[in-house]
Amino acid sequence: MPDKPLPLFEKYRPKKISDIRGQDIAVDKLKAFITAFSRGISKKKAMILHGPAGTGKTTLAHAFANEMSYELFELNASDLRNRAKLDEILKPSTLQQSLFAKGKIILVDEVDGVTSTEYGGLAELIALIEKTKFPVIITCNDIWQSKFSLLRSKCELVQVKELNYLVVVQLIKEIALLEKRPLSERVISEIAAKSRGDLRAALNDLHSIIYFDEEILEEEIQLREKTQDIFNALKEIFKLRANQDTLEVYENVNLELDQIMLWLEENIPAEYRGEELAKAYDALSKADVFRGRIIRQQYWHFLVYQNFFMTAGISAAKGIKNLPQRFIKYNPPRRILKIWMINQKEAKKKSIASKYAEFTHTSKKRAMKEFFLASLIMNDVLIKELELDEQEIEYLNERKLQAIEQIKAMQNTTK
Amino acid sequence: MSDSSTIWTEKYRPSKFEEVFGQDEIIKRVKNLTNSLNLPHLLFAGPAGTGKSTLAIIVAKELFKEYWRENYLELNASDARGIDVIRQEVKNFARTKSLGSVPFKIIFLDEADALTKEAQQALRRTMENFTSTCRFILSCNFSSKIIDPIQSRCVVFRFKLLEKKDIEKVMKKIAEKEGITLDEKAYETIYEGSEGDCRRAINLIQASASISPIITEEIINILLSSAKPKDVKVVLDYALSGDFVKSKEKLLDIMLKESVSGTDIIKSIQKEIWNLDVDPELKVKLTEKTGEVEFRLVEGSDEFVQLESLLASFVLAGLGKKL
Repeated sequence: MPDKPLPLFEKYRPKKISDIRGQDIAVDKLKAFITAFSRGISKKKAMILHGPAGTGKTTLAHAFANEMSYELFELNASDLRNRAKLDEILKPSTLQQSLFAKGKIILVDEVDGVTSTEYGGLAELIALIEKTKFPVIITCNDIWQSKFSLLRSKCELVQVKELNYLVVVQLIKEIALLEKRPLSERVISEIAAKSRGDLRAALNDLHSIIYFDEEILEEEIQLREKTQDIFNALKEIFKLRANQDTLEVYENVNLELDQIMLWLEENIPAEYRGEELAKAYDALSKADVFRGRIIRQQYWHFLVYQNFFMTAGISAAKGIKNLPQRFIKYNPPRRILKIWMINQKEAKKKSIASKYAEFTHTSKKRAMKEFFLASLIMNDVLIKELELDEQEIEYLNERKLQAIEQIKAMQNTTK
Repeated sequence: MSDSSTIWTEKYRPSKFEEVFGQDEIIKRVKNLTNSLNLPHLLFAGPAGTGKSTLAIIVAKELFKEYWRENYLELNASDARGIDVIRQEVKNFARTKSLGSVPFKIIFLDEADALTKEAQQALRRTMENFTSTCRFILSCNFSSKIIDPIQSRCVVFRFKLLEKKDIEKVMKKIAEKEGITLDEKAYETIYEGSEGDCRRAINLIQASASISPIITEEIINILLSSAKPKDVKVVLDYALSGDFVKSKEKLLDIMLKESVSGTDIIKSIQKEIWNLDVDPELKVKLTEKTGEVEFRLVEGSDEFVQLESLLASFVLAGLGKKL
């Protein structure tokens, strides 16, 4: 294959159904749906392929159309707003059918972002499904969002699961060979494990390391292992029923318990909703109470309880019957970074407030609270009196401008 | 500060007993004590902007005349990092003899109720050690937050919120000197917005004068609503509507940008619950939960985690579920 500057996942995207690996059930269901549709015996006019990113949903539709000689029309959210284009696509095939194609398939890719309220949103999509004379294929990451409930009832659902680990390993191996860059088993298994069934991510990783030395690679991977562990730990907490092993989940994680707490805090809302959310945060809150007691009393046995609430406590928050199967991408904690960023920004405010406070016989705290009025009061003479430096002046002027604009806007609305 | 100062709270800060509006009884007694040249330790208790710092400065000016700056140290307990810092500053200041005829110096410790009980014990010892060279004037919002041993060593004065007529007198004086005009309704609005806090009232008119020399009720109202810290209502609204992530982000924003502590947040949440559009029964449950979280916040280590657990309860309440 000639070396084109394509991302690997584009370069090796299967063109035929037989090239698609590890999604046999989805392939069969899609085949059955299209066949039934063309015979006019299918119950629904659309099929939703849903599952995590990089599992082959779009590829499936393309490969299918290609192999069966269907014309494939791709629609996105903005097309749904475009009446003319919609009408064109929905015209009966007799009027404009291409010479070789057997028929048409309409593909609506990645509907996750489509909203239920705005024009061109879900309402148009549902209208399209009702009118269409061609099969519609929809792809979606999370079809269980409540906004999709009506859409779900109009469509057949097919789950496209995360790819099996061994399938990913095999594919990486083959592609690495095709790229003339054989890799060690360890590296391959590392990439596969990290991808967690997302082939696109795996191939992107592969792409990025093809140009690395093996040695650097090993180091890189060791660095990554740290976060590896926490991902697995979180998965065990959130996805599995609490058992004896649950309590030891963090033992192999190369992070301090405090940091793990931040990871939990960040990712609970991604995994739990409603009652589960409240229960999980209650457990985290209790863990934190014990942490506070450890700090204050230096009584380390409380660690047992802190760990208990952080493992079993959060794990048991989910309903026993429905263990969550959805794939969730866990995020590293963002709070500390956000605090740092805002503090950087607010550092100027603090230093100005502290000068202002000294000058006006008040406390820094109060000066911070009164900053809005103070920013208006501080004129050029005062800026000199307070000996503000250039950066402080810049910050102050910015705040002042904001304040004045805000006031003007409010004056206009009252008029 | 100098009379040429452009901050009106400083420019118009009274520098003689006679110039102070309101607190008549206190002024009379403090003046007598000052004139006797035998000043005890003083404790000024009362709300912000009622003249505590002003009176401390006047005492210093009356006593030390042109040397008042050399003989007067102002510290703010809520800013200084711990009692050790305060003790060190006091030591450095008290080591040298006072300039002029008065045999002691004055240390004004503002917001002394920000000190913990333990820190106040240490402060008491410091006060005793330096009584020969220093007099302390402490200020606080609530005298109940000052430990008894300190209270018993001080003459306590309780400052009241300024009355409408006093605030008006101050406003009129400034308006005349600065060449600005206020209409009758503006006076009323300033007084209400200031809540008897003279400093706030002056800041309000100076801020509005920076926009226009004619000060109306409207501009004062706009300033008042803009200067108010962003309230927790919007945080709770997000939570009740089920958007937990938005709600917690908003909360973090408010805490960081407005520098509000977790305990302050929880106090405003507690007050806000009663105004929420939910069943009274649920309000009771939410308040109970809020109390529990406030307790955990004191016991725990991470304020934000505790507040998040409270927001999660509000999400539940928004779904109409039992807490």
